[in-house]
Amino acid sequence: MKRQILHTDTLDDSTLWSNLKKGNEKAFSTLFKKHYAHLVRYGNSFIPFPEKVQDCVQDVFTDIWVYRNKLNEDVVVKAYLLSSVRKRIARLQERDHIFRLSTSMDSVKFLFDFSIEHHLIADETTAAKVSHLNRLINDLPSRQKEALYLRYNQDLTVDQIANMLEVNYQSANNLLHRALLSLRKEWKGNILLILLLFQSVF
Amino acid sequence: MQQRNNYTEIEHFLADESFQLWVCFKDDQQDWEEWTLENSNRAKLVEEARLWLLAMKVPNTNLSTEDVQYALEATWEKIERAEENKNGTSRPIIKLWRNNWFSGVAAVLILSLLSGWLYNHYIAPENSVLTYNELINENEEGLVEQTNNSDKPQIITLSDGSSVLLQPNSKLSYPKIFVGNERKVYLSGEGFFEISKNPKKPFFVFANEIVTKVVGTSFRIKAYANQPNVEVVVRTGKVKVRSNQLIANSKDELIVLLPNQALRFVRQNLTFNKITDITQDESLSHSASNIEQLGFEFTDIPVAQIFKTIEQAYLVKIDFPQAKLKDCYLTTSLSDQPLPEKLKIICKSLGNNTSYEMNGNQIIIISDGCN
Repeated sequence: MKRQILHTDTLDDSTLWSNLKKGNEKAFSTLFKKHYAHLVRYGNSFIPFPEKVQDCVQDVFTDIWVYRNKLNEDVVVKAYLLSSVRKRIARLQERDHIFRLSTSMDSVKFLFDFSIEHHLIADETTAAKVSHLNRLINDLPSRQKEALYLRYNQDLTVDQIANMLEVNYQSANNLLHRALLSLRKEWKGNILLILLLFQSVF
Repeated sequence: MQQRNNYTEIEHFLADESFQLWVCFKDDQQDWEEWTLENSNRAKLVEEARLWLLAMKVPNTNLSTEDVQYALEATWEKIERAEENKNGTSRPIIKLWRNNWFSGVAAVLILSLLSGWLYNHYIAPENSVLTYNELINENEEGLVEQTNNSDKPQIITLSDGSSVLLQPNSKLSYPKIFVGNERKVYLSGEGFFEISKNPKKPFFVFANEIVTKVVGTSFRIKAYANQPNVEVVVRTGKVKVRSNQLIANSKDELIVLLPNQALRFVRQNLTFNKITDITQDESLSHSASNIEQLGFEFTDIPVAQIFKTIEQAYLVKIDFPQAKLKDCYLTTSLSDQPLPEKLKIICKSLGNNTSYEMNGNQIIIISDGCN
């Protein structure tokens, strides 16, 4: 469902954004309702305090409205929102000294686990393959996982991801590419074994 | 879609929105199925990309529409506090509101001077100003005014989930968020109200000289500044009407109205005429709008038709996946519900994968079919 909502259109976002800048409260509310849930979920993947995360996301929106005159006209709204939430959570962690003396954005760790689209899987072979792949993906280093999430679940471009993670384009590209490359190798190597095991068990 | 012929890596597929839609929602508008089968190398790549998508599901948040609505209200409250804090910049905003209201006050005064000599001596001028002073005070809660200058009714949704169908040449003032134990709105002109039930927070409509109090019902109020009568027509539930106590000479009369009853308030002499059967009253039965005449009791009706009824009643546009919902039939009663509640109930009945988005009079239903 999430995916579908996110697809509705980015163009609409930018219209809402420019209306919001002009002081249109409805545009603000619409944007809020459209993005709140997925921003909270993204935030929840950094710290295990759901209430604080909701607070952070609300503060992001509060600032947007209060400082709407200073907002940039041509931003990719979703990337801006995700990145604002991320920064705010990083700041919160600094303040709360959960991590000592950390000032960089590296301080926030993406502790999120992908799950499996069980209802779309009909046969057991596919189920075995997918669950193995899912485990491998979830074992990736947190930055790689986050890059994958931003790229394929939030549909950000590599540029936007580089911006958010404060690395250059090449590094962001590497993060994504390496994740896929290493996983595919490992997965392909194992998959036969897995299937054999799987068949002998059932 | 020609670019997919150049896809060589699973990355390319993963980033393709229409591919995602096909895999995760079986929405195959780009004929992926067929395209895949054209070439066996291609099929391998597609299969692998598919497995990746299946293994990378992002769980749905457990936030309901109400949670989000609640969060939105909390955010508006935060905004107000933030704007109070940075005093310097908040001044102009408050000033602007005040100015609006003062011009509103001026307009009302002029109107009453022009058309109101008949009942002028019933309403002391400072009293009618007082009503608006109240409004100004309430501004600090952030009162929003919506005016319908078009020639068609306009739908307004309030923060508590109630909806108001505002007729042309009418306006409604309401707080962005209802705080405190009462919900108060101010009407000039005509509107059809469907109020979400909340006995703890009664809903008040201030219209000309009368105040209408409900806890959750649907009713219509007609209160144009330049017409001699104010009318309240009840569709469902129970409605209480009294005259505004700010008016001198106001009687302490309280009128209770039940469904299909109405009230005509004669402004000239501040009297209430209760009409116990609206079908007997020509002008009332003729003035009923679409929404009051359409039935919202559905028994085994295709959902497309239900959407059509809603479109006619509220003059909104509903986009929904027609193909996916073509075999969906619903039996439901939506009579006593505000528009957001109606949509919520329909989405719920269709199943977990259905939700709606509302933007002005544009409604989008997101669904991958019914259970």
